[in-house]
Amino acid sequence: MKNKYVFILTITIICSFFLSLAAEGLKDIYNKNVEVDKKKNILNAIGLDISEYSVVDIDKYFMDNIDTLIVDLEGLLIDDISISDLFEIENKQTGEIKYYYNDKEYLPLYSESVNNVIILPISGKGLWSSLFGYFAIDANNHSTVKGITFYAHGETPGLGAEISKEWFQGNFIGKEIYSANDSLQSVTVIKGKASIDNKYEVDGISGATITSNGVTTLLKRDLERYEPYFIRNRK
Amino acid sequence: MKIKETFIDPLVDNNPITRQVLGICSALAVTVKVEQALVMTIALTFVVTMSNTIISLLRVYIPSSIRIIVQLTVISTLVALIDNLLGAYMYDVSKSLSVFVALIITNCIVMGRADAFAMQNGVKESFMDGLGNGLGYGLILIIVASFREVLGFGTFLGFRVLPEFMNNGLMILAPGAFIILGLIIWAQRSITSFVEE
Repeated sequence: MKNKYVFILTITIICSFFLSLAAEGLKDIYNKNVEVDKKKNILNAIGLDISEYSVVDIDKYFMDNIDTLIVDLEGLLIDDISISDLFEIENKQTGEIKYYYNDKEYLPLYSESVNNVIILPISGKGLWSSLFGYFAIDANNHSTVKGITFYAHGETPGLGAEISKEWFQGNFIGKEIYSANDSLQSVTVIKGKASIDNKYEVDGISGATITSNGVTTLLKRDLERYEPYFIRNRK
Repeated sequence: MKIKETFIDPLVDNNPITRQVLGICSALAVTVKVEQALVMTIALTFVVTMSNTIISLLRVYIPSSIRIIVQLTVISTLVALIDNLLGAYMYDVSKSLSVFVALIITNCIVMGRADAFAMQNGVKESFMDGLGNGLGYGLILIIVASFREVLGFGTFLGFRVLPEFMNNGLMILAPGAFIILGLIIWAQRSITSFVEE
């Protein structure tokens, strides 16, 4: 080949052609996988055992029992916007995700009717990465914790990555986010072992203090954002 | 006869990991579980076999001054392709392999075979050489992953083989992989009495 520029240009064009063909052809399946994965995590947060569920089962459970709600910052339900209209912006410094529609901020949440649970998306910074997950609380008193999951993070396996393990997530179940005098307390991940009677603290992860503190911070911050909604709907 | 050798040689005697000590980074990263190691083996074998074949097909046309660029273009395309395929058909595994599929691009084995072998040899030999190197890499990956999963989690391919209290946390972390890999290299070199020059 005489001209190397022509050669590399030809190679690049052929390669990009095949790549875009593959990416375009597989896009739908990929997006579907991401969506199913999110749904799985929402169901996990409620505490359902979905290991035997097929994709169809998960979709069906979602259709039948779960409503997506959008509320504004005052805690009022907004009917004319759906979750797919919202535009997500992640703050890379804090790991916080904000949802916008027409430059106005909204908050999405999921409401499940069988166990009567509401599920909030949560996110924030750990040690190396942003943590993304869901937090489920009782829909009657808006206080009792039903579960927590993390579906994406880049923490150290064996240390910070323990946040996606059952033992860590299990400790949250049954805790309360509202104190007896009705102020938002959130749940704190403490250093070492939490006492069983304490309803506002869970065991920390040894060797992963920063990740543990990150979970505490993101829970408090995200719950405070939803507080207007809780206040309006608490009984 | 020669083609058979190009396939068998990199499996054990000239193994890219234990003999040439290439591709160590991913060998440490994706060997926590056997399933990950298996998928990584398939991905890398696909990439190195295809890139060897394509480079060998093009070898007489590639201007030598830009040969590395051409090789990288071909390799990156194949890696991005396999990354897309895994994302679509094996989503959970692709999530757990995270960035390491994309990092096949920088795996020295792939570039090394393309430049050192496929640029000089015919299509059939290059194909077999790629297959051999990919599987040689995978063989070590699977051995290391078997030790790590059994000792670290007490499971093999997800099935429980050891009780949970025997789990060793060190095996889940990268140092565990280093130790096992070191032992394998040591064992192989004392058997073959190969000494690095």
